[in-house]
Amino acid sequence: MAAPEPPTTSVAGPAEDRIPTVIASDVSITYRIYGSGRAVDDDDEMGVLKRVLQRSTQNVGVREVKAVKNVSLVAYEGESIGLVGRNGSGKSTLLRSIAGLVPPTGGRLWLRGKAALLGVNAVLLPNLSGRDNIWIGAQALGLTPKEVRARFDEIVDFADLGEFIGLPMKSYSSGMAARLRFAISTAVVPDILVVDEALATGDAQFRERAQDRIAEIRGAAGTVFMVSHNPGTIVKMCDRALWLDDGELVMDGPAGPVVDAYTAKYGRPRKKPGKGKPAPEDPPEKP
Amino acid sequence: MSEGGPRGPLSPTLSPQEAEELARRYGLELVGQRPGLLAYVRDVWRHRHLMWAMAKGDFVATHQDNYLGLLWSILNPILLGVAYYLIFGVLIGTRGGIENFVAFLTIGLFTYIPVAAALTGGSKSVLRKSSMIRSLRFPRVLLPITTVLSQFVASLPAFMILLLIALISKEPPSLTWLLFPVALLVVLVVSLGMAMLTARIVNAVRDTANLVPLLVRLLRYVSGVFFSVDAALARMGDPEPWVAALLQYQPVAVLLTLVRETLMQEYPVRGETWAVAGGWAVGLFVVGFVVFWRGEGTYGRS
Repeated sequence: MAAPEPPTTSVAGPAEDRIPTVIASDVSITYRIYGSGRAVDDDDEMGVLKRVLQRSTQNVGVREVKAVKNVSLVAYEGESIGLVGRNGSGKSTLLRSIAGLVPPTGGRLWLRGKAALLGVNAVLLPNLSGRDNIWIGAQALGLTPKEVRARFDEIVDFADLGEFIGLPMKSYSSGMAARLRFAISTAVVPDILVVDEALATGDAQFRERAQDRIAEIRGAAGTVFMVSHNPGTIVKMCDRALWLDDGELVMDGPAGPVVDAYTAKYGRPRKKPGKGKPAPEDPPEKP
Repeated sequence: MSEGGPRGPLSPTLSPQEAEELARRYGLELVGQRPGLLAYVRDVWRHRHLMWAMAKGDFVATHQDNYLGLLWSILNPILLGVAYYLIFGVLIGTRGGIENFVAFLTIGLFTYIPVAAALTGGSKSVLRKSSMIRSLRFPRVLLPITTVLSQFVASLPAFMILLLIALISKEPPSLTWLLFPVALLVVLVVSLGMAMLTARIVNAVRDTANLVPLLVRLLRYVSGVFFSVDAALARMGDPEPWVAALLQYQPVAVLLTLVRETLMQEYPVRGETWAVAGGWAVGLFVVGFVVFWRGEGTYGRS
């Protein structure tokens, strides 16, 4: 694994004159999954009745999954932070907490200012038109109806949906929905913008505009967090990166070295998974 | 990895004390803190426009999936009223001594529909909108509130029809008809209270969601939607006083009586009904709101 690089001056000025926007202290996030029950141990020795009973109740109960484990970090104004990690490593869960949407179950998390989440799964109301979703989304970000009216055209222009703006969101392609979500989420310049793979679905032209908008937000002293499975994007757009593995923060540093270390471990010639850890697709162990 | 990869130089691990001190120095806000009750109320007020937009969205979403759309909010109660009349007025005959059974039945039914919808929809409002919780920040109490509001708006045509039915069935219009909208407001407030209360309970203990349909059905049959509770009590002989009080003064029974008293001549407006209904409205609303508020910060976690 790469040795920590000496900090570059642009990202690691003395901590004193930078203003923190996110402080996480020992943050853990556990969530409950219903109907996931326990693992069945199918045993030939078992009587038929017992086996039937066990099969029929195997989906009963709740499992707790520790998605994020004891993460501590400080993010500052003007920083752009990328998150890398395999599927199921807790990136999205951590980001939801950083956006102030799902409070952590352990540890403490402080935020400065307004946060907005932009995610692939952030479905607003699929039955409503793009227009209605703009109204609801923008107001949920704290805009008054007057302000929404003032910015409405700008949002519609950025989303670039044409006549689809009047159709229910469920009829949108994933790229269109991503554009609309991006346009809504950045209608107000948030202090903390959390981008959860939302840029992956757009076309090249949209990605470019989105990158400009993100640069704008950083220029306005905002902090940007983003998840991307494309290491190139992280290196290009972020100056700092976090590597999460199995819910734990394993590396935190300048984007280049962190991404290098990550790709060295899980790079294209896929190596065997790390020792003792379940593959991300595996059902989590019962606690 | 847990054995410790290299930590970057940018974020030396802060102790909890240092983190707290840093947060205080720069005025960061702790996440997941339940706001104070007053602050919460202010927050809800600040989001009132969002509340309307969401209620409207709910309303539109539930009424757009068919050709007749909104017309169904008129057709449905009428058809249901006819069905109930055939079953309970003609087939079984629960009329008892009620003179204007058509008005009695339709008032009971049309008032009960939004209450039942509030219980059913309100109790699941938080679970059903979990994707919204995970993408937008707003006081979560808006979820049960907007669910009830949109269902109530959907019931407005049915309430208009009630006036029509009262006129057609020869109820003489009187000044007490002016109390009709006020009574509906009381129904709304009680529904809001019940929705907030059940939303928190169902969110905390999912299994209780299975009891809600049972509760809705039970209330439909004991609250006097299609029979007079008083007459039923008389028929029972002399039931224990607590049984009688329970049947007469449980919130839904009181609501039905309240609305009937404003439109039907044979049920004169009584101060007692209004006092009890008002008590339920204020009590359930306040308890529901406080109970829901106490769970703020736990919604959307699973």
